[in-house]
Amino acid sequence: MFPKNAWYVACTPNEIDEGPLGRKICGERIAFYRGEGNIVAAVEDFCPHRGAPLSLGRVSEGKLVCGYHGLAMGCDGKTVSMPGQRVRGFPAIRSFPVEERYGFVWVWPGDAALADKASIPHQEWFENEEWAFGGGLFHIACDYRLMIDNLMDLTHETYVHSNSIGQKEIDEVPCKTTVDGNHVTTSRFMENIEAPPFWKMALRGNGLADDVAVDRWQICRFTPPASVMIEVGVAHAGHGGYDAPAEHKVYSVVVDFMTPESETSIHYFWGMARKFKPEDQALTDSIREGQGKIFSEDLQMLELQQKNLLAHPERGLLLLNIDAGGVQSRKVLERMMDQERAAGVASTTGAAA
Amino acid sequence: MSDSFEVKIASTGQIVVVPWDKSVTQALAQAGVDILTSCGQGVCGTCLTRVLEGTPEHWDSYLTPEEQAANDQFLPCCSRSSSALLVLDL
Repeated sequence: MFPKNAWYVACTPNEIDEGPLGRKICGERIAFYRGEGNIVAAVEDFCPHRGAPLSLGRVSEGKLVCGYHGLAMGCDGKTVSMPGQRVRGFPAIRSFPVEERYGFVWVWPGDAALADKASIPHQEWFENEEWAFGGGLFHIACDYRLMIDNLMDLTHETYVHSNSIGQKEIDEVPCKTTVDGNHVTTSRFMENIEAPPFWKMALRGNGLADDVAVDRWQICRFTPPASVMIEVGVAHAGHGGYDAPAEHKVYSVVVDFMTPESETSIHYFWGMARKFKPEDQALTDSIREGQGKIFSEDLQMLELQQKNLLAHPERGLLLLNIDAGGVQSRKVLERMMDQERAAGVASTTGAAA
Repeated sequence: MSDSFEVKIASTGQIVVVPWDKSVTQALAQAGVDILTSCGQGVCGTCLTRVLEGTPEHWDSYLTPEEQAANDQFLPCCSRSSSALLVLDL
């Protein structure tokens, strides 16, 4: 269950540099490609001729040419041409609102008439030279909401990521959850602790001592439908923690987009935008490698959790104090889906009248 | 579909009734005259047939509006007749 009238990250621009990309988003099989003027386009991954996946074709002069019999598809879903055949009567296939922005390709899998490109959430770290970004993509067989739960409750770090970012103080310091409209924030501030291995590496990367006590923070921000941005960092203890001057801290934003593929699978776009040494490409690479290892530790946990839930749909689960962030995020999603259902019923009734 | 009408095969003089619930190609097939069809919905043009007399009623999306207005060809898989008789170049 996911809202369909919303912008989702579909892919990174480099994934369509060489040719079309076939990817299922929210249950819709979509072919993404660069059409006329190199502008990103998205159509149903279904040739109106024989149902072949258009994504197995190639782009020629801005048209998506089917790899089976050469039907040339326009980015509006209307067939442009086909060898030896008139095409004026061909039924159109669906095209999807799509936009390249902030280093990602965004798609609107729902009602195209409602898509407003101004509502694509602004990513402050993009195209700002004070920031550097590195990230990756995992396919994970779990409900996107299990990943939201995971990211809105970082107590799991102590256990799943015990060798990198986990530490017992996460368990010992309670978190605080607040809700502001559709935005949910869960934060935790730890003071005068030893930095865990990942943050020691980051301190060294920023030319700071890694053997002194630090203040550490985690501020998880959920934005519907499927994004969690986590402000994370450590500062040498006693300089103001989160508010410490830049020369005493390492500060980053963990970027997470968990785009539903199906009810029980996601395309997980993860990354880290950091506000220190943005020009240091080697540091970007080592952070990406470290983060990739850490985030792959969640993969097995979430996939096997999903299998358990599918095998035992009747079993009730416990929602505890640490789960407040995920619970509130799910409430926002439920509200969006209720509104979508109500609007769908209204438009159906209107058409019948 | 519109009312029934008749089609005449020009080469043999055979006349076939096209009832309201059958296409021209279906009625002709029952009378032993096979016209090659593919899409069956007026898109592909496989069954395009010349009309020698009468006025076809075009239901296809293959011909351009100008070609349809000329009324000298039609697609018998889906199109019908606004005159009582169509003489086909078959």
